[in-house]
Amino acid sequence: MINAYILINKQPGDSDKVIKEMRKIENVEKISVVAGEYDIVVRVHIKTLDKLLKITNKLQLIEGVKKTTTQIIEKEIAL
Amino acid sequence: MKIRRKYLFYTLAFTSAIIAALVSAIDATIISLYIPDVLAFGLSCFIIGIIISFVIILVLSIPIKKDRSLGSIIIDPSFNRVRLVRKEEIKYHLVAGLGNACLTLGYFSLLFLMDGNPSVVLPFSQIVILYLVAIESVVEKNIPTLSEIQSSLIVTFGAILGSISLTGTITPIAMAIVFLVISPAWVLFSIYQRKLKMLKINKKPNDALNIRFWNVVFACVFTGIIVGVYDLLSGNSHFIAGINASIEHFEWVALTMAVTFFSYVFYIRALGIGKASVTQAVRASMVLFAIPFSIILSYFNIIPPFSTDPIMILIKIIGTTLVILGIVSFALTLVKAYIFIKVKPGYPIYETMDKLWEINGVTRVAAVAGPYDFIVKIRTRTLVKGYERIIRKIEHIDAIKEYKWQSVLKEWEDI
Repeated sequence: MINAYILINKQPGDSDKVIKEMRKIENVEKISVVAGEYDIVVRVHIKTLDKLLKITNKLQLIEGVKKTTTQIIEKEIAL
Repeated sequence: MKIRRKYLFYTLAFTSAIIAALVSAIDATIISLYIPDVLAFGLSCFIIGIIISFVIILVLSIPIKKDRSLGSIIIDPSFNRVRLVRKEEIKYHLVAGLGNACLTLGYFSLLFLMDGNPSVVLPFSQIVILYLVAIESVVEKNIPTLSEIQSSLIVTFGAILGSISLTGTITPIAMAIVFLVISPAWVLFSIYQRKLKMLKINKKPNDALNIRFWNVVFACVFTGIIVGVYDLLSGNSHFIAGINASIEHFEWVALTMAVTFFSYVFYIRALGIGKASVTQAVRASMVLFAIPFSIILSYFNIIPPFSTDPIMILIKIIGTTLVILGIVSFALTLVKAYIFIKVKPGYPIYETMDKLWEINGVTRVAAVAGPYDFIVKIRTRTLVKGYERIIRKIEHIDAIKEYKWQSVLKEWEDI
């Protein structure tokens, strides 16, 4: 399984609508609205890189999403 | 289903509270009707508790999907199957087991002294929150915020008012049991269970089910020692009475221990998400849930009937309201953030990763491929503490070239 963070910059506007659309996407594990350089951090859990591409594509098709930056997790320690 | 992690925490803590209120009603019935000897009851609870917990955990170990057991699907995703206690867990289990043994014996004594009325005993037991806030500030070198102090005092005063029995009496022995036995024992029990939950077993988070099962085993040993020593010194035979009670009233004790098992498993899982004092605050809502159970018990004449004196009822309402108010004002004021980190070349990744993981407040460290090298997730009480406890430490790691702090404003999670 592959885990990845997708960092999202969005255009100013209806954040709720964008998040609502993201919550519908399968394999999205976590959505965090953040303050800083990015606007939203999405964590995904997928089987293949092909699936990751599909999710990134879906995210980019959401109206209001300006840019996505994907960070694939190579190793992780968590509580 | 994606819900906010905060809601998962509240769901777990409230479920645990409702079950705990039910347990206290069953306990009250057993003490009143079947086993009035509280030491014997305490011992029999743990003897039967081992059997019941083992059966439950064995059932939950049944593999359902590939790599996933029944318990991991319905109770705790970290659970795999029943396992032996690990060497690194023993010291924590010894303290948590001693805590549980003292807590249980103290709680049954209180239940006995208070005529078995759960709506009186449970508010009284909530004073532990005051101890937890104090302990956390020592252990985590963390000065409690004003709101934490206010909320825990509100809960404490509410608990004292709520614990005045409806006949208007409050006994000094009961007070002593609460302040000197139940609360310190609960602190040990709760803090060390949390330490166990935070441990990694085979590089995976420890699971609530094995923690609960082994806690019952250790608590049984300590209860046996306490009751045995007391018998030797006083010339009584509570130990034998406990074994007899385990055989004669197996079904009742088994019922209370089975229900208790789930109450604690949810509690331990909640402990893995929130701080011990906050989890305790939410669980304090059992005070409210205990009232209907007490009314049912008094209706069946298991406990003395409620007084209809308006002053007593008013005091009770004020007490319960204060406890609930304390809980609400304790609502999570947790700050979460991501820190995106770029590192300098020439430093081993694993070493940097371990250094980041050692920082207090870090809940996740991910080595990533992309514009950044690490994504760190942190959890802290206030932004000031985030600076003092996390940023200062990150700045001391030589390998780090650049970092960006991103405060989380709102979060949804798939559970």
